Amino acid sequence: MDFSRFIQYIASGTAYTLGVTLIALPSGLLIGLVLAFVAVYGGKLAGKIMDVYSTVLRGIPPIVLLFILYFMMSGAINLSPFWAGSISLGIISSAYQLEIFRGAILSVSGEQMMAARAVGMSKIQAIRYVVLPQMIRLAIPSWSNEAAIVIKDSSLVYAIGVPEILRRAQLISASTQEPFLAYITAALIYFALVFITNRVLGRVERKLTIPANP
Amino acid sequence: MKKSLVFLVLVVLTAALVAGCAGQKAESVLDKIKTAGKVVVGTSADYEPYEYVDEAGNFTGFDIELMTEIAKRMGVELEWTDMPFDSLIAAVQEGKIDMSISCFNYSEERDAQVDFSDAYYTSEDAFLVTEAFAGTIADPLEVAQYKIGVQSGTVQDDWVTTELVDTGLMPESNLSRYERVDQAALDLQAGRIDVLVADSVPAKAIMQQQAGLKIVYEGMLYTGPINIVLPDGDTALQAEVNRIIKELQDEGFIDALAVKYFSE
Repeated sequence: MDFSRFIQYIASGTAYTLGVTLIALPSGLLIGLVLAFVAVYGGKLAGKIMDVYSTVLRGIPPIVLLFILYFMMSGAINLSPFWAGSISLGIISSAYQLEIFRGAILSVSGEQMMAARAVGMSKIQAIRYVVLPQMIRLAIPSWSNEAAIVIKDSSLVYAIGVPEILRRAQLISASTQEPFLAYITAALIYFALVFITNRVLGRVERKLTIPANP
Repeated sequence: MKKSLVFLVLVVLTAALVAGCAGQKAESVLDKIKTAGKVVVGTSADYEPYEYVDEAGNFTGFDIELMTEIAKRMGVELEWTDMPFDSLIAAVQEGKIDMSISCFNYSEERDAQVDFSDAYYTSEDAFLVTEAFAGTIADPLEVAQYKIGVQSGTVQDDWVTTELVDTGLMPESNLSRYERVDQAALDLQAGRIDVLVADSVPAKAIMQQQAGLKIVYEGMLYTGPINIVLPDGDTALQAEVNRIIKELQDEGFIDALAVKYFSE
């Protein structure tokens, strides 16, 4: 039995894992960031709507949303397994990122917003030049947590037939009866992906730290 | 907050339901296949020797080779989609794949959701145990006194659930359902279950690969003919697939495949 071949087979699922993550994480970031500002500065009604959005989506298991999007909605929109998986993980992640960014925005004191408005900045300008630079710095530690979760949650798309790392490990486990080898390979690849991501984000965090204001 | 939440969930679910029911296709999948020049076939490639991954990482096995020949005779390309066994029927139903070949036995519940081709092979069930297992099983119902493992969504799962659990012969807590048959074999080796009820062909394949296992019972429970799963009510596609299966049976192609993959 040629193990290096099997390992190669499992590792070639990394492209799908990265693909799903690289769609889900940035789209979750974009939606989550915008919605977080809407939640904090958008008024009472908008705040309530955002609350419902994040409560509902954080309450649904990702795999359920995945099945809804892939199987139940197929009459309306016919998505490929890859896109159904990426979009549903992106939507779920946007709810978590909304909470991460909302918390970070609230950590920047409200007086700063008032001060910015007092010197004549518009609300948008105040967000852009005063709140955003500070909240990004505060958000990175929790955000790198979310990044790790999305990388690992991307394995769920195996359930609808995306040949990513976990599904390939399952197939190899079934055909070789060597589950240990197959799953250890998968685990090491996921670990490497999460490790590298966290290192990169740690570096970004250090870059953004203001020495006088640690 | 609570009321609006419930309302929102209801709206989302209703929308999903409406969307799910809206997409009824009128034309035959056969036309779609011919126009596209390819047939998309689903399988769960974790069931040696019917369908599994070979050393080069390609799908191979009895079903795989059979389907390759069927696609060739339909005059179209073949595209495989691998997904877990429990997802396959839903995928055919929703038109995500054109058909599925994955050692499917006929059952009434499945027939309500999808259609079946004519049988291309007949399979049996086997009770797989470890060498240490001392008992004998003459009547299959006797297995109810043991801890049983099955692959979820299979006809074996159906048999154990209907004949043993629902009838009260065994408590449901003694039944373990696994996503794949190889996981069940691992738990059999680990002693978490006493008996693995599976299709006899993969059971024998597992027995050959793992030392210390034996078969204590072999026979037809809910198994029998295995068929290709087709979209519900698509008679044109069914006729075409049946025609090719008949052709392959008459030529001895399927018998030759069975010798290649199933002979011990």
